[in-house]
Amino acid sequence: MPDTVNFIIIDDSKLDCFIADKIIRNTGKAGDIKSFTVAAEALDFISKAPPPVSDKTNVLLDIQMPVMNGFEFVEAFEKLPEDIRNGYNVYMLSSSINENDLNRVKHYPSIKQFLNKPLTSSALAQVLEGL
Amino acid sequence: MDKIEKIKILYIDDEVNNLHGFKASFRFDYTIYIAENVTEALKHLEQHPDIRVILSDQRMPDKTGVQFFGDIREKYPNAVRILITGYTDIESVIDAINLGNIYRYIKKPWTDTDIKTAVDQANQYYLTTSMLAIKNQELQKAYDELDKFAYSVTHDMRGPLLSILGAINIAQGINDLADIREMLGMMDKSVQKLDTFIQSIHDYYNLNRGQMKISDIKFDDLVADLKDIYDITGRTDHTAFDVSVTQTENFRSDEMSLRIVLNNLLSNAFKYQRKALDNKFVKLDIQVSNGNACIEVKDNGIGIDEANVNKIFNMFYRATSEEMGSGFGLYNVKDAISKLGGEITVDTKLNEGSTFKVTIPSK
Repeated sequence: MPDTVNFIIIDDSKLDCFIADKIIRNTGKAGDIKSFTVAAEALDFISKAPPPVSDKTNVLLDIQMPVMNGFEFVEAFEKLPEDIRNGYNVYMLSSSINENDLNRVKHYPSIKQFLNKPLTSSALAQVLEGL
Repeated sequence: MDKIEKIKILYIDDEVNNLHGFKASFRFDYTIYIAENVTEALKHLEQHPDIRVILSDQRMPDKTGVQFFGDIREKYPNAVRILITGYTDIESVIDAINLGNIYRYIKKPWTDTDIKTAVDQANQYYLTTSMLAIKNQELQKAYDELDKFAYSVTHDMRGPLLSILGAINIAQGINDLADIREMLGMMDKSVQKLDTFIQSIHDYYNLNRGQMKISDIKFDDLVADLKDIYDITGRTDHTAFDVSVTQTENFRSDEMSLRIVLNNLLSNAFKYQRKALDNKFVKLDIQVSNGNACIEVKDNGIGIDEANVNKIFNMFYRATSEEMGSGFGLYNVKDAISKLGGEITVDTKLNEGSTFKVTIPSK
C-alpha cells in the first residue's frame, strides 16, 4: 500500500462528497482529494490532467446523477487514451439495490469494484489494502 | 345534451340498387358510405379511418367479400366486418369465419332488422374492443411508471437517507463543532429533499387517482397564497417576484391541479437562478380571456441546455445537478395540464433563463 493515496469523488450530492472526503482523510493516508458534483466536469478534468504515473488515482463514482450518470461517465472514460485510463481505478459507489444496476457494473472492465452507500471507514480500508 | 355523432359504416356491393336501397333505409341511423367496388371502398377507408362497421357483398366481379376483408384486416383491424351473401355458399362463409375476418354473416335478401341488429351489435363489439385496447395502453403505462417508480425509490428515497446515515457515522468521531454544524446543514438539505420527494409522490397520486373538482377559479385569490410564500423565498434569495393577473371573466377548472402547476413552475423558477446575478427575477403573468387562461412564468435563471429540453417533462429526469430536484415536478405539471385539456411550451436558453407558457381552457 502506498503512503498516500489520491482520490477523485464524483457525486451530485454535496453531502455524499463531504462524507467520502472525511472518511478518506480519517484514514491518515489521504493525498490529493478532488470532489465533483457534475460528472462531465470530472471527465473533462481527467482527460486534460497529466495522467498519474507512479500510483493510480482512485475514482469514487455515484451511479444516479442528473445529465451524465455514472454509467455514461464510465462509457466516456473507457474511450479515453490508454495511458490516461491506466492512471485511475474506478469504484462505483451507489445506494442502488437494483439488480440491473448491479449486473451492469460487471459489463464495464474499467470498474474495479462496487461499493455500497454510505461509504464506511472499514469499506475504504479494504479498498486501500487491495491497492 | 350533446348530439351523439352517428357511427360511420361502409357498404360495398356491385349492385347499385342494393347500395341505394341500403342508404335509403339507414341514412337516419348511421353515416353511410357506399362503394360499388373494392377501389372505391378503399378510398372511403383512406378518408375515414374511423369507419366502425364494414358490410360487404360476397360475390363481386373484382374480388370476393372474404378476400376484401382479408386484405384490409391488417390496415384497419378495428373496423368490424360483416359479410352479406345471397348464395348459401357455405364454403366461403366457413373460410371467412376461420380466417377471423368476419364478425357476422347476413343472408340476402336482408330485412332492415337483420342489418340494424347486426350493425348495433357490431358497434357494441367495436366499443368493447377499443375500450379494452385503451385500458391495455393505460395498464402498460401504469406498469412502466411502476418500474421507474420502484427504481427511483431506491435512489431518491434511499439516497438522502444513506447520506444522513453516513454523516451520522462520521459525526460520531468528530469533535470540531464547526464541522458538525456544516454537516448538520447538509443533513438538513437531505431531509428536505426527501420531504419534497414525498410531497411530489402525493401530487402524483392525487393527479392520477383523485377526482377533479371543477369550481370557479379566482386567480387573484390563488396567486395571493403563492405570493405570500414566494415573497419570502424571493427576499431571502434576493430575487424580485413580479405578479400580474388580468381576469375579467369567469373561469372554471380544478383548483388543485392549477396549484400543482403554479407551485412547481414557480418553485423551479426560484430554485434554478444564477446565484451570483444581481437582478434575479421571477415574473408570473396570468391572463384570462376568451375562455382560456394563459399562464406565463418567466425567469432569468440558469436555463436549460437545448439538448435536454425535450426530456424535462419525463418522469425522474433532471437537467442539472444544481439544487435538489426530484425529477418529478415538471412531470406532474405536464400531467396536470393534460388532464385540464391544456398545453405547455417552454422557451429557454442556457445561462439566460426560461419562460414556461401554459394555456388552459375553462371547463
